[in-house]
Amino acid sequence: MKHLGIRIGTVVLEIILFVLCVILAATAPRFLTAENLLNVLRNVSMQGLIALGMTMVIIAGEIDLSVGSAVAFAGCLTAFLTGHLMGAGLPGEIAVPLAIVASLAVGFALGSLSGFMRARYSVPTFITTLALMTGLSGAAELITNGFPLTPFPSWYNFIGGGYVVGVPLPALVFLAGFVVFHLLMNNTSFGRSVYAVGGNAEAARLSGIDVAQVKILVLGVTGLLAALSGVMQSSEIMSGAATTAKGWELDVIAAVIIGGTSMTGGSGKVWGTMVGVIFLGVIINGMTLLNISEYWQHVVRGVLILAAVLINRTQKQS
Amino acid sequence: MGTSRLDTVALRKEYPGTVALEGVTLSFEGGKIHALVGKNGAGKSTLVKIFSGAVKPTSGEIRIDGQGVTLRSPKDALRKGIAAVYQELSLVPELSVAENILMGRLPRFDGLRRQLVDWGTTFARAEELLMRLGLELDVRARVRSLNLARQQFVEIAKAMSYDPSVLILDEPTSALSYGEAERLFGILRHLASRGVVLLYVTHRLQELRQVADTVTVLRNGRHVGSVEIGGATPEALAQMMFGEVIQKASPPGVCAGTGTSLEVRGLSLKGRLHGVGFALRRGEVLGIAGLLGSGRTELLKALSGAEPADSGTVILENQAVRPTSPAQMKSLGVVLAPENRKEEGLVQLLSTRLNLCLASMDRISRHGFTRRRLERPVVERSVRSLDIAVPDPEAPVSLLSGGNQQKVVIGKWLNTEPHVMLLDEPTRGIDVQAKRQMFEIIWDLSRRGISCVVVSSELEELLEVCHRILVMRGGAVVGEVLPQSTTLEQLFEMCLA
Repeated sequence: MKHLGIRIGTVVLEIILFVLCVILAATAPRFLTAENLLNVLRNVSMQGLIALGMTMVIIAGEIDLSVGSAVAFAGCLTAFLTGHLMGAGLPGEIAVPLAIVASLAVGFALGSLSGFMRARYSVPTFITTLALMTGLSGAAELITNGFPLTPFPSWYNFIGGGYVVGVPLPALVFLAGFVVFHLLMNNTSFGRSVYAVGGNAEAARLSGIDVAQVKILVLGVTGLLAALSGVMQSSEIMSGAATTAKGWELDVIAAVIIGGTSMTGGSGKVWGTMVGVIFLGVIINGMTLLNISEYWQHVVRGVLILAAVLINRTQKQS
Repeated sequence: MGTSRLDTVALRKEYPGTVALEGVTLSFEGGKIHALVGKNGAGKSTLVKIFSGAVKPTSGEIRIDGQGVTLRSPKDALRKGIAAVYQELSLVPELSVAENILMGRLPRFDGLRRQLVDWGTTFARAEELLMRLGLELDVRARVRSLNLARQQFVEIAKAMSYDPSVLILDEPTSALSYGEAERLFGILRHLASRGVVLLYVTHRLQELRQVADTVTVLRNGRHVGSVEIGGATPEALAQMMFGEVIQKASPPGVCAGTGTSLEVRGLSLKGRLHGVGFALRRGEVLGIAGLLGSGRTELLKALSGAEPADSGTVILENQAVRPTSPAQMKSLGVVLAPENRKEEGLVQLLSTRLNLCLASMDRISRHGFTRRRLERPVVERSVRSLDIAVPDPEAPVSLLSGGNQQKVVIGKWLNTEPHVMLLDEPTRGIDVQAKRQMFEIIWDLSRRGISCVVVSSELEELLEVCHRILVMRGGAVVGEVLPQSTTLEQLFEMCLA
């Protein structure tokens, strides 16, 4: 099918999203208000940020199951370090930034570690990140002793709960992230290397591409994004709690798949993930506005994943 | 046990656009090992597929023991007495030898326990079969724990468990070592002595004398001749396999320049390469002739850094280097267009444009950002100069024909501006016209001072396209010839000797 110069098949999800918004606007009066739409954006932004990195990971032919635990761990670590640094007499203005930078660095390092294990010892990332998922979840419990840590000065709330020109800060970070990753994957040699490695790692290696570097970086960056998300999350709830972000990895992977990225690697789009993330956010929001039970929301999400993959398959065959 | 026979009468197989087999009338008697040889595309695999029921002939007849048969599927062929063992084994590594042999037919108990496998009978039956075939294997051993040769034996035992009149072996020794192949030949002779028709398809012509009783040659889908092994001299084989070849000289204007572009010294890889050394002149087209397993592919892979050698050096512009990775050799201007372009040469999912720029991203980007302004001329130049028939450079490269995909591989490397291009079977699986274009491309590279090392099973192509040819055998360079003063038969004999 070719109409108006673009293939209909490539914009099916966008069309469905648009139709969905029209229906919601007609049935749920509060849907089409600026407040609600910004709310949707804020709700999806933290998972969305990670989904951008996950897109890259999946295109590179890998997977990262540790992102949910990594969010919780980064929030707890930030709280833990802030508490200790302030306890040692440092003012909050210095302790908090130090704690954040340290958490981000740890997030990057842990992600890189899975990439390194993959590249150097051929351990599947499914396994390393599964181990990380369990390990980090436990580590978060350990450093918080099972109770949320609340050492943060009140201004810390701005990072996850503040507004800039009327837009929630996490939403701005997500939108900026989208632009960066869109450019990275479409307009840089690194982005092309990611597609090549995921499409055919051997051909990429024989073409002189550093496959190990690509794998380490995509997983490292995703670890960094999870940590950043964790910092924002801890800021929003003003505490570091080991129980936050449970099961996020599945929501994030779902958004990426709904966005059309292939689990076998080599193909996918950052834009698709963006649409997938917003799609899921709008569905949940709409169902909440229409007073549909939360249990149904999970069922609908399951159906959506299946439907999206089916659409993708049939598009490829035609 | 009686002696079987297999005949074909005027077998013909047509594919859209090509005739793969034409008027093939053959006769194979039991108790002998019949080798089936021919160049790539001669029709061997089509014939094997017809015998094994995977492909139906367009016309013609197959007779087993004089009885005309129609083979509807591999299962049907098996039932009618034709079993085949392929190059890629079809065993389940985690299961035992006995389970693999009797797969799908495991003996069960009677009565109430009829859903349960009778292991005692299973092992006994497998053991009895192996004994009958003269194979010594532990029926309880997991297939995974066996070496390749023994796995091959299990596959043969499985085929023989159907008690076929005809057993076809398709390139059975391609993954075996010399000693393992010897064992296999012993087993085959034993099987043949039981009256079975053994059909042996091979590329390894050097082993014909060890194993075959007769040699049947196909060329361009036709049966050229069948001879007793005593009559299968290298000259006779060359004559049958290649036919009368009109040798064309290289066009004028192509001659190797002066100055050395690359020198190889003492390249060795355990069991594969033994002290290979040669010098390559600027703009020279150097052919490497040798049979399958002679080390020709290993040589190219070692030179390009794809699979580094254990020892040896390469001298480039008076500097000695050890090739360790494709990235390193690319930066030094030595690149390889590999034998299997689908798996190693291209990223099939990506577009022609992206594939053409895959190895030269630094040339089309500034500060890590790719620039359309730099990329477009690179892609356009590749498409134009190599005459790549590509309707849409943005469409996946997998949509292109074999010849055009090969051009994309070469284009990808030309965009890195190399000094030495290594080409492994550059004309495999591409049509006649694309082959001619490939030759033109190689000569054009030569004119531009780029040296080429060409590996090809098609000896007549080497004689046509190269300035000089090295002959490899058993991982070593054993001879050097000039195409002008060498005939195809002479070159073939050197490879085979």
